[in-house]
Amino acid sequence: MAARRAARAAPSVRSRLLVVGMALVLAWAGLGYRLVQVQVVRAAEYAERGLAQRLTRKTVAPTRGKIFDRNGDPLAMTVEARSIYAIPDQVEDPLLTAQEVAIRTGGDTADLLAALESGRNFVYLARQVELDVAQEVEALDLAGVYSHPEAKRVYPAGTVAAQVVGVADIDGNGIEGLEYAYDSALRGTPGELVLEQDPAGRVIPLAPRSIEPAIPGEDLVTSLDLPLQYTAQSTCADTLERTGAEQCWIVVLDAETGEVLAMAGAPTYDPELRRASDGGSFSNFAVRDMYEPGSTQKLITVSAALDTGVADLDTIIPDVADTYEVTPGACRSNEDDIYGCFRDFSPHETRSMTVREVFTISSNVGTIKIQERIPRDTLVEYMRRFGQGSPTGIDYPGEAPGAIGIDPGCSSCWASAAIGYSVAVTPLQMAAAYAAIANDGVWIQPHLVTGRIDVDGEVSTVTPETRRVVSERTAWVMRELLASVVAAGTGKAASVPGYRVGGKTGTADKYGPEGYTNQTIASFVGMAPIDDPKIVVAVVVDSPAPEFSTGGRAAAPAFSVVMEAALHRLGVTPDGITG
Amino acid sequence: MTARPVRSITVPPRLRVLEGRRPRRRPIAPWMVFTLVVVVAFVGLALARTALDRGAFELAELEARIAQAETENTQLRLEIARLENPARIAPLAEELGFVYPTQRRPLLVSGVVVDMRDADPRWIEIDRLAAAP
Repeated sequence: MAARRAARAAPSVRSRLLVVGMALVLAWAGLGYRLVQVQVVRAAEYAERGLAQRLTRKTVAPTRGKIFDRNGDPLAMTVEARSIYAIPDQVEDPLLTAQEVAIRTGGDTADLLAALESGRNFVYLARQVELDVAQEVEALDLAGVYSHPEAKRVYPAGTVAAQVVGVADIDGNGIEGLEYAYDSALRGTPGELVLEQDPAGRVIPLAPRSIEPAIPGEDLVTSLDLPLQYTAQSTCADTLERTGAEQCWIVVLDAETGEVLAMAGAPTYDPELRRASDGGSFSNFAVRDMYEPGSTQKLITVSAALDTGVADLDTIIPDVADTYEVTPGACRSNEDDIYGCFRDFSPHETRSMTVREVFTISSNVGTIKIQERIPRDTLVEYMRRFGQGSPTGIDYPGEAPGAIGIDPGCSSCWASAAIGYSVAVTPLQMAAAYAAIANDGVWIQPHLVTGRIDVDGEVSTVTPETRRVVSERTAWVMRELLASVVAAGTGKAASVPGYRVGGKTGTADKYGPEGYTNQTIASFVGMAPIDDPKIVVAVVVDSPAPEFSTGGRAAAPAFSVVMEAALHRLGVTPDGITG
Repeated sequence: MTARPVRSITVPPRLRVLEGRRPRRRPIAPWMVFTLVVVVAFVGLALARTALDRGAFELAELEARIAQAETENTQLRLEIARLENPARIAPLAEELGFVYPTQRRPLLVSGVVVDMRDADPRWIEIDRLAAAP
């Protein structure tokens, strides 16, 4: 009986064993299939996913390039700072946190409290603070308050050259001046750091990592001379104080190279405290502001006359009165909008004058009579040759082109242009025009950056554009005329002890929204030493008080101070010293 | 006659004593050496790994110190630049009584050769022209 039962049960055991065996085989087959799937078919994908969980990619910010003056003194550089931020959800006592941070960072408690209670996930409490300030805050161990390193752009020269160097914003983007003009070169190329981290965010040592280093931005070497820039700037500030003017601009050029040695203005601003400024002083008006040059324009008119041969130094201009009526009836009209009546600055008897005398005493009437000898198109051609009516192309953003506002149907405009009206120029354009005379008749494009230094130390230099505007002889003669203006004419205050200086005064009525005003733009542009000029200085004073309304009174003294400093800085041998 | 099987004569086997080989113990020396090598290699690897890890940490620390030194260097350069700023020095000099000379006279130091390339002989002609009535 038992044997029979056993015999019946035997197949059942076998079948169970078979089932179990098959199940095991299937299970192993499944595992094998999965193993092949994981290890062979999708191995790369899983490896990549695993790696992605551990790998962290960090962008390595490049160091922004420095800006130097010609002596290697830094005008702009980048230093490490720290930015303090908060995760508001983690902050336990917002008021206390705001107070503690505000005390140490100089922030406003109410602003910080508002930020902490803004409901945002992340708020900055203070950006780019000094390292020791950040350490003080970190030492407080405030819940939810952290800091991270951040590069900060600083300007060690402060107000000096601020309007030329410009500024970069808090994120390191150039927004003004050279910082903007050369932003792409200064900013560099970001790199990437790939490393493995544990779940706590700690870097795993010896784990595979790759570094694509950031390429630092190029350094810029400018032509500015910091001490001379300071002299120009302080002289401008003194001029404002002395003359009661609204603005003052000074441009100093190396006559032989076109390098801008100084470009200063007043009022100015401190780039590190720029939020406290009203913004009106940010712009570099030596490049962007246009004005009617007045008598300094006579350099171009007389140069055109000499260069075309219609006059020479000893040519006599007959019947030079102190009033000249180009538009009939203009001098008898009381209408402000009828132009065409021209007067000399001081009354004098009608007499003949040489070209030299016309220029030296700055006779408007005499200059207009000289202009009448020049074909009209030729005069405009010379104005363009000297760089008027188009930007100089200086490496500075937003340069004003100037304007030659001569309407073909305007009968008085040619006379106006000859004495510096109907023409708008920038201080830089006038400096460059005079530099052409200083440089034996060759105009050189003014420029601020003389070299760029890349990460390998390779220096790339700049070759400025040049063009001949007048003959060498014309340039010599014009320099002699300019010297006579300082020696015996309207520019005596521009003299510099030890050097023979040449230059020209300019006084132009200021044009306002409702026509010409009683205010003036007083200027002086000149060069030294006149035998072989090395330096050209242009001084423009906007709206000086009536007693300082002329170029000789407002601008020439400032020219003298700056020119003397420039000659000494460049080590130019005084005249009269012979071996 | 019926065939009958012949009874086989069985000869009892002669017994002899064979000189058996003495069972030899398995040699353990190679295994011990192998084990020792493995252990030493393992320990060596562990030590090397530890040393490398320690080196990595030291390297990271050194890199951090270098970065800190560079930061300090930059800060010092900034401080120098700020201290050398003429806008800071000029007022201080003025406070100390330094002033620009009001009268200057260039002096010729005997024996010092001055480069006179600046003097242009063509000015003689210009001066003559300028002096003309």
